[in-house]
Amino acid sequence: MPAGAVPDASDALGAHINHDERVVAAAIAALPGIGPQRLRTFIGALGVMSTWHVVRGEVRAPAHIAAVLQYDNLHHVVRRAATSQLLDQMAESLHAGNIRVLLASDAEYPASLRDDFAAPAVLFARGNLAAFTNRRVGIIGTRAASAAGRHFARQLGSDLAQNGVSVVSGLARGIDAAAHRGVISRSADDDDTQRDAPTTTGAPIAVVASGLDVVYPREHAALWQHVAERGVIIGESPPGCAPDAFRFPLRNRILAAVSEILVVVESRATGGSMITVEEAAQRGVTVMAVPGSPHSETSAGTNALISDGAATVCDATDVMVALGLDHHRHAASSDARTRPLPADRVVLDALARRPMTFEQIVAEVNLPLQDVAMSLGRLDAQGWAVVNGGWWEALLAMRAATTV
Amino acid sequence: MFATVRSTTLLGVVGRAVDVEVHVGVGLPGFTIVGQPDEVCRESRDRVRAAFLSRGFAWPNRRITVNLAPSGERKGGAGLDLAIAIAVLIADEQLPPHVAERLAFVAELGLDGSLRSVIGAAPLVAAVRDHRVVVARGNVAAARAAGAADVVAARDLAHVIACLRGDDEWLVDTGSEAAADEAPTPDLADVRGQPVARLALEIAAAGAHHLLLVGPPGAGKSMLARRLPGILPALTDDQALSCTMVHSAAHVSMSTSGRVTRPPFRSPHHSISLVGLIGGGTSAMRPGEISLASEGVLFLDELGEFAPSVLDALRQPLEEGVVHVSRARTTLTFPARFLLVAAANPCPCGAGAPGVCVCDDAARAKYVRRFSGPLLDRFDLRVSVGLPRVDDLVDGGKGETSALVAARVLRARAIAVERNGTVNSTVNGTVNGTVNAKIAVDDLDTVAPLAPAARALLRRELEVGRLSGRGLHRVRRVARTIADLDGAPEVVGESHVATALQLRTGLGVLMGGR
Repeated sequence: MPAGAVPDASDALGAHINHDERVVAAAIAALPGIGPQRLRTFIGALGVMSTWHVVRGEVRAPAHIAAVLQYDNLHHVVRRAATSQLLDQMAESLHAGNIRVLLASDAEYPASLRDDFAAPAVLFARGNLAAFTNRRVGIIGTRAASAAGRHFARQLGSDLAQNGVSVVSGLARGIDAAAHRGVISRSADDDDTQRDAPTTTGAPIAVVASGLDVVYPREHAALWQHVAERGVIIGESPPGCAPDAFRFPLRNRILAAVSEILVVVESRATGGSMITVEEAAQRGVTVMAVPGSPHSETSAGTNALISDGAATVCDATDVMVALGLDHHRHAASSDARTRPLPADRVVLDALARRPMTFEQIVAEVNLPLQDVAMSLGRLDAQGWAVVNGGWWEALLAMRAATTV
Repeated sequence: MFATVRSTTLLGVVGRAVDVEVHVGVGLPGFTIVGQPDEVCRESRDRVRAAFLSRGFAWPNRRITVNLAPSGERKGGAGLDLAIAIAVLIADEQLPPHVAERLAFVAELGLDGSLRSVIGAAPLVAAVRDHRVVVARGNVAAARAAGAADVVAARDLAHVIACLRGDDEWLVDTGSEAAADEAPTPDLADVRGQPVARLALEIAAAGAHHLLLVGPPGAGKSMLARRLPGILPALTDDQALSCTMVHSAAHVSMSTSGRVTRPPFRSPHHSISLVGLIGGGTSAMRPGEISLASEGVLFLDELGEFAPSVLDALRQPLEEGVVHVSRARTTLTFPARFLLVAAANPCPCGAGAPGVCVCDDAARAKYVRRFSGPLLDRFDLRVSVGLPRVDDLVDGGKGETSALVAARVLRARAIAVERNGTVNSTVNGTVNGTVNAKIAVDDLDTVAPLAPAARALLRRELEVGRLSGRGLHRVRRVARTIADLDGAPEVVGESHVATALQLRTGLGVLMGGR
């Protein structure tokens, strides 16, 4: 192609399009200068194929669209990018990443999103959209979470999944990842025990800001994969899209919109979680918060929510009741773990109060050091305690599970 | 016309005998020194001449040539001054030709003819210890410490000459041999509470395991580390001699006895340079802190603040026990059998504990990157040290004394020597050390067989991925030491392995528990 030539200038109208509407929709989403807002305006007004022709300058745009295209010379930029190569590339990325494209008109497009006032015009999904047929609870919180916060999120995710609730979260570091790890641990058990039986475990739903083939943060690659296998990852960014900072608040609106209840586990007074809470409030989504110590910086936001009237979450039962589900019928799961020995019980009880280092445990329980070491080894092997960066945490059964 | 007098010069931490040859002959009056003298050595000309004149000796107004043999090696230091002066006097026939036979001179001359002490007297004298060695009075103790049998001192050049002529007596200052007036080492009894850190110190001392202490500021990491030399076994004569040589060569102050009698403790500041830590230098090669800490403890406080390049240089000496310093002219080998103790904060804010730490992810990740993984891997013991409990500080009694702990350490080492000494595997061509930290991998099954329960525990750690293959060997060595301290000489049990695992926390401890 000669330098400076306008690409595909000789193509007849639509002659270069040998891809289906969804690929074209993805390509429009990938055009520079067209974010979720403009995408909704364009596709909402024109439909997918007409929008493609308009951005290529093959069809005259209606006045309000033309006004947008004039702004900042956008029409030159998109004209240059909207090539058949882009379509080919999109088709390939969608195929390689196993990514589906959903338009608002599709039956599988999540109903809760379709009715939203800021619904994504084009939604990308990887995994099984059946997850949206379950009850949905969002679990969110700070990336810089305390170990206790992450432990709680993990437990909550696990217990909600066990009760058939789909946990919605953002796959960020900290609380988000912990909640989904809890879900995964539960559905992994499911795989082991009753592979053929119909699963009643809630599938995870992840809402991400980057393209579905761009894992962010990188260390969550395995978790990302597990969520896609057992549930679904959705987002409105096209394949290959970087996790730009502006996409996170937009992602949060989708997260709020698909959740029936939003649980904030830990949050500082300001931050991404609080944006999600705002979005949830605008949509009438119930916001619940996990109370924390007034001294803990990571609970400042959740405590503020509670003082503003948010319901508290102390365990999965609180959420199940808010969902209007009979929790107790489901929760009667037996704890498969071996009962800890009486000697180990002392160590476990001490750990139940807060995470501790080995040294703190020795000082707390006042037992010979070697005995404590042996107890920790047994508790770890039986699954009652885990060590996390030098800090031991108890993995106790939650209140509901022990009382029923 | 010609004279040869024995003296010595310093090469790193080793003295080399030097023959000072002087020729006084016809020609234009002049004074040249050949045989690769360094700057200090060349300035000897002016000091010797001034000392002659101020003491009223005649300076030969002839051509004086001094050769320092063997002439192929570089000579340094002012310790040759006295030998040059005596050789000039003999060559000028102011002294009879044979007075300096079987004598060696190691002293610097002042302009007034007085004798001054030299740096590195111990290794210098050791090179000529079969001679009667004449030194300045300040060097007598060091010279004796070096094992020289016949050490004499003199006040000044005139006194030396008088003694050589038989007109006066050498000073044979016996000194106060037993006067070990070293500062008392701090005692473990001062440490309240901290049971885990105390145990870690004891294990480190008993098995020579390197130790990393992680904890918030004020937890007492430095306080603990300073008490480690006090529970190490006393130096053997060979070790003490080797330490004395290094300390003398580096001009590090020692007790008045001139000997290093206790395991040294060195804690260089974190701004230390590579050469400062490892050894080297441009003109005179000087031992670094790791050699000064040899046979003792090298304590690196605020490990994360050291330059990464400096820390990485520690890895080879840690493995080999010696450090080879190569420069364009020379390659020297310094001893480096030190026990490494390091301290670090758990995260930039220092709090570490979940919920209390205020560091964000980026700050924490940046902090962890400061630590070289391979170096951290070499710490057999990685212990988190918390703030002391209020109860321990206010109401707690004194802890066990260093003497009690040292007795247990000594017993454990004796057990280890008896057992490990029978195993004759070699590593890098040298027979294994007898300390547990140096047990070869091949010998672990022989000297540290595992009880079935202990084996099961380790298997699980490997399966869940918390332990690497290399980590496994380190845990087994530590468990061996714990068993030795327990007085259980045969099989390593479950409790020993469980404890060893607890004393090797994951590196997440440097990430505020995340």
